Amino acid sequence: MMNSTSASPAAPISVSGDGTDARRNSKRPKYSRFTQQELPACKPILTPQWVISIFTLVGIIFVPIGVAALLASHDVVEIVDRYETDCIPGNDRIGYIQNPTTNKTCIRFLKVPKDMDKPVYVYYQLDNFYQNHRRYVKSRNDQQLRDKSKANETSGCDPEKTTANGVPIVPCGLIAWSLFNDTYNFTINNGKALTINKKDISWKSDRNHKFGSDVFPKNFQNGALIGGGKLDPKIPLSEQEDLIVWMRTAALPTFRKLYGRIEVDLKENDTITVVLENNYNTYSFGGKKKLVLSTTSWLGGKNDFLGIAYLSIGGVCFFLATLFTVVYLLKPRKLGDPSYLSWNNNRLMQ
Amino acid sequence: MSMHWDRFRASTVRLGGNGSASLRGTSFGDGGLRHTSSQTVRLGRVQPQHPSHRTIFCNDREANQPVRFKGNSVSTTKYNIFTFLPKGLFEQFRRVANLYFLMISILSTTPISPVHPITNVVPLSLVLLVSLVKEAFEDWKRLQNDMSINNTPVDVLQDQKWETVPWKKLQVGDIVKVKHDAFFPADLLFLASTNPDGVCYIETSNLDGETNLKIRKALERTWDYLLPEKASELKGEIQCEQPNNSLYTFTGNLIIDKQTIPLSPNQLLLRGCSLRNTEYIVGAIIFTGHETKVMMNSMNVPSKRSTLERKLDKLILALFGGLFFMCLVGAIGSGIFINRKYFYLGLSGHVEDQFNPSNRFVVTILTMFTLITLYSTIIPISLYVSIEMIKFIQCAQFINKDLHMYHAESNTPALARTSNLNEELGQVEYIFSDKTGTLTRNLMEFFKCSIGGEMYGTGITEIERGIAQRNGMKIDETTSATAVQEKGFNFDDPRLMRGAWRNEHDPEICKEFFRCLAVCHTVLPEGDASSDKITYQAASPDEAALVTAAKNFGFFFYRRTPTSIMVREANIEKMGSVQDVTYEILNVLEFNSTRKRQSVVCRYPNGRLVLYCKGADTVIYERLVDGNNDIKKLTREHLEQFGSSGLRTLCLAYRELTTEIYEKWNEKFIQAKSSLRDREKKLDEVAELIEKDLILIGCTAIEDKLQDGVPLCIETLSRAGIKLWVLTGDKMETAINIAYACNLINNAMKQFIVSSETDPIREAEDRGDPVEIARVIKDSVKQYLERYLEEAQQFLRSPYGTKLALVIDGKCLMYALDPALRVSLLKLSLNCSSVVCCRVSPLQKAQVTSLVKKGARKITLSIGDGANDVSMIQAAHVGVGISGLEGMQAVMASDFAIAQFRFLTDLLLVHGRWSYLRLCKVITYFFYKNLTFTLTQFWFTFQTGFSGQRYYDDWFQSLYNVIFTALPVIIVGLFDKDVSASISKRYPELYKAGIRNTFFTWKVVAIWAFFSIYQSLIIYYFTVAASPNGHNSSGKVFGLWDVSTMSFTCIVVTVNLRLLMACNSITRWHHVSVWGSILAWFLFIFIYSGIMTPRDRQENEYFVIYVLMSTFYFYLSLWLIPVVALLGDFLYQGVQRFMFPYDYEIVQEIHRDDPEESRRQLLEVGHHLSPDEARSYAIARLPRETSKHTGFAFDSPGFESFFASQAGVFAPHKPWDVIRRASIKSKHRTAKS
Repeated sequence: MMNSTSASPAAPISVSGDGTDARRNSKRPKYSRFTQQELPACKPILTPQWVISIFTLVGIIFVPIGVAALLASHDVVEIVDRYETDCIPGNDRIGYIQNPTTNKTCIRFLKVPKDMDKPVYVYYQLDNFYQNHRRYVKSRNDQQLRDKSKANETSGCDPEKTTANGVPIVPCGLIAWSLFNDTYNFTINNGKALTINKKDISWKSDRNHKFGSDVFPKNFQNGALIGGGKLDPKIPLSEQEDLIVWMRTAALPTFRKLYGRIEVDLKENDTITVVLENNYNTYSFGGKKKLVLSTTSWLGGKNDFLGIAYLSIGGVCFFLATLFTVVYLLKPRKLGDPSYLSWNNNRLMQ
Repeated sequence: MSMHWDRFRASTVRLGGNGSASLRGTSFGDGGLRHTSSQTVRLGRVQPQHPSHRTIFCNDREANQPVRFKGNSVSTTKYNIFTFLPKGLFEQFRRVANLYFLMISILSTTPISPVHPITNVVPLSLVLLVSLVKEAFEDWKRLQNDMSINNTPVDVLQDQKWETVPWKKLQVGDIVKVKHDAFFPADLLFLASTNPDGVCYIETSNLDGETNLKIRKALERTWDYLLPEKASELKGEIQCEQPNNSLYTFTGNLIIDKQTIPLSPNQLLLRGCSLRNTEYIVGAIIFTGHETKVMMNSMNVPSKRSTLERKLDKLILALFGGLFFMCLVGAIGSGIFINRKYFYLGLSGHVEDQFNPSNRFVVTILTMFTLITLYSTIIPISLYVSIEMIKFIQCAQFINKDLHMYHAESNTPALARTSNLNEELGQVEYIFSDKTGTLTRNLMEFFKCSIGGEMYGTGITEIERGIAQRNGMKIDETTSATAVQEKGFNFDDPRLMRGAWRNEHDPEICKEFFRCLAVCHTVLPEGDASSDKITYQAASPDEAALVTAAKNFGFFFYRRTPTSIMVREANIEKMGSVQDVTYEILNVLEFNSTRKRQSVVCRYPNGRLVLYCKGADTVIYERLVDGNNDIKKLTREHLEQFGSSGLRTLCLAYRELTTEIYEKWNEKFIQAKSSLRDREKKLDEVAELIEKDLILIGCTAIEDKLQDGVPLCIETLSRAGIKLWVLTGDKMETAINIAYACNLINNAMKQFIVSSETDPIREAEDRGDPVEIARVIKDSVKQYLERYLEEAQQFLRSPYGTKLALVIDGKCLMYALDPALRVSLLKLSLNCSSVVCCRVSPLQKAQVTSLVKKGARKITLSIGDGANDVSMIQAAHVGVGISGLEGMQAVMASDFAIAQFRFLTDLLLVHGRWSYLRLCKVITYFFYKNLTFTLTQFWFTFQTGFSGQRYYDDWFQSLYNVIFTALPVIIVGLFDKDVSASISKRYPELYKAGIRNTFFTWKVVAIWAFFSIYQSLIIYYFTVAASPNGHNSSGKVFGLWDVSTMSFTCIVVTVNLRLLMACNSITRWHHVSVWGSILAWFLFIFIYSGIMTPRDRQENEYFVIYVLMSTFYFYLSLWLIPVVALLGDFLYQGVQRFMFPYDYEIVQEIHRDDPEESRRQLLEVGHHLSPDEARSYAIARLPRETSKHTGFAFDSPGFESFFASQAGVFAPHKPWDVIRRASIKSKHRTAKS
């Protein structure tokens, strides 16, 4: 019926007959709440009381959550050590880092500011590293990582698809190729070595489903340009947890990735000696490198953001509630006062 | 049998001035057929005529075979099974949004695109699918309609028998039999009829909206071919014109037994008409199927787009601007960013152009395209299809099924014929209304009278009731026992009825009054001479009402001969006596618009000679004899009183004549009557000689019965800020009168009258020089307009707020619409709260409409019922046809059809207003949700080195518009109600928001955009800032896809909740859809991230949601982010409502404690009060202001002889035409019985 503009005008129209017929022919629409638009509905009216109470309610809920989150975050002890500038001698940083023969060992001393309960997580943090660049993100092939038989599947892996002589690289693509390869070794106080547990640093789902247990690295880092870490061709990908962590690409150009866990408690004023291999080139693009040791609370690692957000929003809500109350008390508007209707206003003005 | 005589007048107006009418002489000379001149009316475009003619062999299928005439089956469908897909798709891609997405989809198959093609292909194909299904459904309904028409049975002659076959089987040349009340299956040559004289009666309301019956007459030569045996002998040959779309012309010859007989339109029965008052007819088929005149006329009504949608286009354009800006920023950024130093991007060696740092310009250009595909979601692809669905349901379920717009008497529900214009109904500022049939019922009723200075009649008009109600007066609800209910008579006063007038203080003058009514007229009685069976045939319904009144007063006029009138008078000698009196009618001095009166000279049986005269108060008072000033004064007061109540008045007077005076005068009269030159003028002059020294009897008041509830509706509409213009073909007096009756004009208003009935113009017209006439009228119109405009300015500046009204007649309007004067006309009329245009042609109606539409850029609505309103209906933004009683033509051209004028209140104030509010909400919300979504993506771009990396998974993006946020907005488009229907009507002023377009201005859009930016910032930066440490994740960290899934979850929740915040009323469907959408997202992500598909694609999303849900990060963020995002809107809404409330919000507050009303009870009581019940409320006389308006509006239409008009000959109105017509009818009646 809609838009039918040329319906035939010659349609025969049934002639309405007697009473019973007429009832049958009645075009009276049936009553239904839907067609008469009378569905039962709640009609909330945003009165100042409602505004004030909702603001107050949000405040009441948010402030405690904020406090709790902030406290939890403060419980977390975090040691952050930026080392990429100190661990490099001389000015030719890029030449130094790209030279495979130079000794890149660097020793850092960290002081434990507070007791750190186990497990202590070891992270590395990179800066100005665009793991979320479009060219980078897509440069991988999940089929190949998962399935041994699909080693030749290298679509999307440009430009790290194959070696110079055309053999497919496993794992292919820029992400794997640029694998982070600084290493850290820890000793505590008097030279007692701290073992780092590098198991279970990746999400289980990644290990079990995205990286095949029968897929082994092949032709990896054999090209002219070495992007980063090498992989032991004897260990299946599902156990190469550094790679798995690395390949869960970060959302932002500044990111942390889990390196391992120290599974002993650290005491206040303990000194940790870190012997690190500063292999990874962040100097080309001026990226920072940081080593992070952190405990966790019930909420997780150190992050004040959520706590502050909750707390300040709660505070703002309280403030707004108060402000509204004051305005409401000083200059109330009677609800449903017809004189506020625009047509009544006009009359007053005239 | 109610004959709408007034329609004849209307039809002449139509014929004279229809826009598509052309006057031309037809000379189809092959059979010596002569047409002096013929008027052609076409409803649609003029179609080129085939040069030659067609030859048809009657009753001989074999002979017709070689010519291959078209079959009789019709098809109005747009598609068939093969053309559906290509044609339907083509139609769809004519929409810019669809074409845009097609291009984006193509673009996204290239490597430039950051997104998989499905991102754009899925929504596009869903949108196309929905649209195509809708098209298919509509076409299917058309097909079914066609099939039912094509399969209507009809009798066709085969082997000397009538065989019943479906319409579609008919062929040119077949002989068919059409029975009483049936429709003609094709254009037929009328051969024979069961009526004597070979006539039949047809109703053409489907063609032209005229409900009066028309007579067709078969050729004498073919009268006998009635029975099958005889008809089968007919072997004739018809030569006639080729199919064309001219409804009122036809030329051809019937060659029968080597004898050539010319054919005329009188022998043509058109498809679409139906047979009335005739048992059956026999005809030969001339044109079939699509070649019939009515089908040739079926026009495609130009499809209208609503103003809101046109504004929407601008919004879309602005979005394109925004898109371009965003892409430009991103593209320039990418050109700057790209650098070989990011070794991990593998930019050394061979790099594709898009990332090649050596050519940053190319990088910029290509990234531009990348970002266009990435940000394509900013254009809401599903917006158009959602709007279409919403509007479709609004029409089909709400408007068509509204019980408040169902008219029980005519069994007609409202009908939305197009679904494009619902929200336009919420913004109408000007209504152009036809009068007859729309505002009035074209039913005249004797309502009140004043006799010898005494006022009689206890009825009260609608307008009086309105005044009384406004003054807080109670209306008595008593019905008198003496009340008589009869068509044309709605009068009650115990002082006059049943002979009670004998006891009045001056029964003699009462007697004169009644005799004047019974004698002075040109009415013909029809049927038995008993008071309940007789019907009166009158050239105007006023006259019939007056004669009916005389009958009810005991002066029953029952027979007319050319020289006498017979009246059965009761209660003359004594109460209860009845006697038949024959009055000899010596002369009839006719009514015309200059004389404004009508007189009859009659001789009583006892020889008394009296001249009875009735006419306008102005002309009668001039001719009254001196003295009797009391009666004159009182009567004048009564006239004014009647006039201001919207009644049509006539003064009655008489004059005793002596034989000498009469004889002397009669000589002159006969002389004048027989003169050959200037007969009319001479007759008028002679009449002047005798129509003087009259004695005033009194006056009558006739109610031009309004449709139910018209004054109330008009008042409501005017409170809603809608201005009503009445455009009518009637005379100025009638039009003003109706304006009074509808409360459009009252005495408190300043009236500006631009009339061509002034002496200078008349003089010019008498001189007859067309150029001079034009100059004179133009000058005077110009003067009028200038003067009035000046006055209007003064009135507007004055502090009293006097309302202004403009009355203009068609002749003046013609010149006022001239480009030179158009501006002042527009200026003046826009300052007036009501405008009445009288004597306007259909074309002028359309011109006035488009003057306001285009000149003032206001939204206009035209409402009418007849074919003469078609042009106006099509010219306005919204066309409304009155359905039910009248013909189809107006309805066929309209966008909405309602049964009663008063339903406009519901249509505009309820449906229109709601649709407008809903559509505004839907559009702005669509804009908001897509902008918010796209902006998060945009913020992300800044942190990806402007590479165009997508933030969201392809499927998220593609399903965002079509699943996760689609349904709630449709629900809002259907169910959102700010205030209930009854409150909408109680506070019509709420409608003004639509006229001012309060809810879809750039300001509103800007506010939404502002909060959209705010929310997108919150959602993006909060999720990102909270993510670096996976909370409770045993030290593990999140990747890109975890964060983006988190963002997306927040967006879905926020956007859906935001919709809930925008709702005025929340039904359970709101809950179902909003929570359902959020749930759908979770269901989707649970399944989607839970499975690994073997297809070659990245498994970014694998297990993401489970990983997320295992951390506190998810819950804390999900709780924080939507609340913070919505807090801004909430604060804004709270402040806005508190400080600057909208009107509807105040009304909501006023009625916040009202119980949930069901309109059902209201329906039963308030709505079915029949007008007659309502009328029976009696009330004492109301105090009134005296007025100058006395309400003379007697209509004696320029009645044309039926046969004369058939032949295309212009014939002025003569009373004997009525007699002739009536005699034909009575003959037909006797023949039947």
